[in-house]
Amino acid sequence: MRDLKYLQYFEDLLQQADNALVEQAKADGKICVAYTCENVPEPLLNLDRAVSIRLSAPNTGSIDIATYYMTNLLCEPSRALLERAIEGGFNFADCVITPDGCTMMNRCVENMELLQTMGKENPNFFHEYMEIAFKNTESDIDLSVLQCTNHVLKPLAEKYGIDTSDAAIRKAVEEHNRVCRVIRAISEFRKEEKPRITGYEFHVLCLATYVCPKYLIIDKLEETLEEIRTREPDDKKWRARVLVVGSETDDSGFIKLIEEQGAYVCCDRFCFGSYPGRVPIELNDEEDALRQVCRHYIRNCHCPRMMSMDKVYGRKQYVADLAKEYRADGVIYNQVKFCDPWAYERTLGSSMLHTDYGYPVLSVDRPYNVASSVGQLRTRVQAFVESVEIKKLQGGGKA
Amino acid sequence: MKTVETIINPKKRVGEESPGKIYSDKLKVRARREWRGVKDTFYDYTRWLYLLSVLGRFIMVPRNVKGFLRYRWMMSYLFVPHGMDKFTIGLRDEALRIAHTSFNFVIADVTQAIANCFRGDRRVGNDTEYSDKCVITDENSMVTFMMGFDKDKVHTILREVPTMFASNIFHQFNVMHYLDVAQEYGISGDVCPMPEAEAGISIDDDFCVLGCCAVQNNTTCDGSLMGNGIIAKRLEREYGIPTFQLATPLRHKEPDVLEYAATEIKKAIAFVEEHTGEKWDWDRYFAAAKRVNYATKCRIAQMEINSTPYPQFFGAAFSLYNDTNYMGNSGRDPQFVKIDRKLLELAEQGYKAKRMYAKEYRHRAIIWGVQPQYVIDQLYWLLQCWGIVPLTDMLSVINTDMIVDEDTPENREQAYRDMAMLNMEMIMRNHTHGGYKVLLDDLWELCEQMNADLVMMWEHMSCKALTGMHGMFEEQGRARGIHVMWVSHDLCDPRVFTRQAIRDQVNKYMRTVFREEPLDPSLEIIPDNEAY
Amino acid sequence: MCKCKCKIAKALGKLLLKLLAVVLGFFAVTFTMYIFNLDMKLMAVIAPWLEKWYDHLEHNQYI
Repeated sequence: MRDLKYLQYFEDLLQQADNALVEQAKADGKICVAYTCENVPEPLLNLDRAVSIRLSAPNTGSIDIATYYMTNLLCEPSRALLERAIEGGFNFADCVITPDGCTMMNRCVENMELLQTMGKENPNFFHEYMEIAFKNTESDIDLSVLQCTNHVLKPLAEKYGIDTSDAAIRKAVEEHNRVCRVIRAISEFRKEEKPRITGYEFHVLCLATYVCPKYLIIDKLEETLEEIRTREPDDKKWRARVLVVGSETDDSGFIKLIEEQGAYVCCDRFCFGSYPGRVPIELNDEEDALRQVCRHYIRNCHCPRMMSMDKVYGRKQYVADLAKEYRADGVIYNQVKFCDPWAYERTLGSSMLHTDYGYPVLSVDRPYNVASSVGQLRTRVQAFVESVEIKKLQGGGKA
Repeated sequence: MKTVETIINPKKRVGEESPGKIYSDKLKVRARREWRGVKDTFYDYTRWLYLLSVLGRFIMVPRNVKGFLRYRWMMSYLFVPHGMDKFTIGLRDEALRIAHTSFNFVIADVTQAIANCFRGDRRVGNDTEYSDKCVITDENSMVTFMMGFDKDKVHTILREVPTMFASNIFHQFNVMHYLDVAQEYGISGDVCPMPEAEAGISIDDDFCVLGCCAVQNNTTCDGSLMGNGIIAKRLEREYGIPTFQLATPLRHKEPDVLEYAATEIKKAIAFVEEHTGEKWDWDRYFAAAKRVNYATKCRIAQMEINSTPYPQFFGAAFSLYNDTNYMGNSGRDPQFVKIDRKLLELAEQGYKAKRMYAKEYRHRAIIWGVQPQYVIDQLYWLLQCWGIVPLTDMLSVINTDMIVDEDTPENREQAYRDMAMLNMEMIMRNHTHGGYKVLLDDLWELCEQMNADLVMMWEHMSCKALTGMHGMFEEQGRARGIHVMWVSHDLCDPRVFTRQAIRDQVNKYMRTVFREEPLDPSLEIIPDNEAY
Repeated sequence: MCKCKCKIAKALGKLLLKLLAVVLGFFAVTFTMYIFNLDMKLMAVIAPWLEKWYDHLEHNQYI
């Protein structure tokens, strides 16, 4: 296929957290709201002059200093983020809002705060920690509304004079949805027999929507969508179609590695992926916008830490539904090493997707920066692709 | 760096001078029991007889024999007296009595819990009428949501306590099988082994199957929360036992989570009412609340005694009693009040007599972090071998606020918030979760309050909440002039750190940093790595 | 009357002696067990057998 016009542009933006567009947003007088977890309602971080920047640490190398602070037993993303913060890579941030989601990410941000890694020259800089819901009930929505009010809206309004009115929230949701709709539309091409976009390309585009100010990329995303509509797909026959599920995947090299083995990544369901993160938020005019946003995030949350059994079973059903919708031949459950929530979710998920839904499953753990373990991962994926292929040849595949 | 004055014990220890001699490298148990002088040996002997009587009475019931032969974890039952000996190493006088009084009661309680499990277990006793009134909860459950139920009509079964928690104390290798099962199934080896072993027991189908419903919670950590999903799936889908997930907010110091937590308590109570058919009784609740407050008062008094130069409460026996009382009992059983009173009386008596339990008290230590289950005797060892006085451990530093205990319409609403507060401030998670202040700042305040010069940091390597603050402990300890001695372990998997490997970390620190020699060299290396 | 009392006293004495012997015997046996840790040594012999027993049990391993 012909290269996408802006692929290189988006790839470049993913090379560092403090990328050119973040700098441009700062120059535009925007307030950069840094965050670390998908469970924070993203539109609320994009109100008025605020822009959300999801913290990431691309091209992570040594994480020795963070390892001193957090030991080598915490997940690599949390250590990579702390290391990057200590190096000064997140100095663009005007505040950090993080939920007490997974313990490790919470500890990572707490270390950032204690070490005063950011905001030294900004008297308005603040850290906020939120409690997030565990279940899918009205009282969880009440909790979420209260937490968002106290730990997102109030500090943004008080420290930076951000407009947090209902109208502002609705406007932010509309802008958020515009990005989601583009990503959704691009995602549709992944369902094709001969897809017009690779899983890798899709991942680059999707990831950019989290780490860049949305208002600065939306035009290029929309242009890319139009480009894909008329793009000629390759004749290449993929050996298998796989759905990737698991921990946050900041390294597009992981997706590339899978596709290099002949498996097309037809869908993704991981932290900061397109499902459920880029599902548009539908608002009605009757109810308060904040409550509707919170409800959307709780209803659509498939984070392993959601503990009620409807969510536990629902997560597997969601993966199975996506696999069906995107015609996946198999599922790759992956976790970043030392990630507790996904260590369990991967086990139960891979077991249920296989036994209850009949999908071949590869269950694998990986480093944050895939480059450090390419050989092992390649072997695992190769073997999986072959097994899926053999099943397909034998008329099996998905039971 | 901060120092404390060494106190020399003016009295010679009665009986055996060096308890290290009773260990054997040829046996998997001790060569003999400790000679503590006539009076204390006779006391210890009578307590041993009592234990045998508890265990004997248990095994006389045929269904308990059946259960014993069905469940692998019951092997730890054989080694209860061996386990008890771990709690009394080198102890004499009041401290010995405190250890026995507290822990014998815990053992009797756990034995009863096993008997209850077997009674209702579909594979063993299959007493369906009984089982229909049982509510299963997690090993790390605060049972405040059961405080208003008649405990003789609705039975709270913490089935993971005998299966995993206590089992590992008495028999260090007893959970390895379940860890292997869990890891064979695909759970990573780097998660906390406690919830992993519990998940392994479920995967291995080695839990008793009973109860009309189950209440799970997220009170400890991500691993515990996640392991629940595996356990609940089996309970619900295979055994038809409905489960309720009691969500407990993590940021327990923030006032804006309290209403949510209280609502969750209300839901849990309604769930229990629905499945057991029994009603919540406010009279019963407030009576239990009075007992909770009494236990809190006693705990405050205990801390005060331990803040003096002559502490009387030592080690794991006391801490496990506190766990059982605070968490597993939550004021429901009046028997705990008698024990609380007796423990305090003994401590006061020991304090007045300026009783010391080692030749010298060289250091005063706060024990922070989580104790390894299979090295439960470490704190006694610290005292005897190096003269380090363990003033309190993190798990014993729990709520000190009183809850409402008079029945009024306003207090009933407050009671839900109190239960929620206790639930959120459950043992361990009240420090490991809720922001860094409860983990770091609370520790330094405690060092000040109890005049400690040393922190022994149990670095449970799979506990991300603790290890995630490793560097901060180092830096802040250094800034305050407090020694931070790291002792790594893997909670209940002795393959990662053996007992001696754990003690060696202390030995090295004491020799290289403090440049001290042990008080009792016979204890420096103990051949108990292969012992139960 | 006096003879009768003597007989009762003798019988009681014998009973007490027997009781004392039983108590002393019980004490001697159990204290020996206690101090030499014979109870746990016995369990340490039984445990490996029991472990084999548990290894042979069929379990429905599944999530």
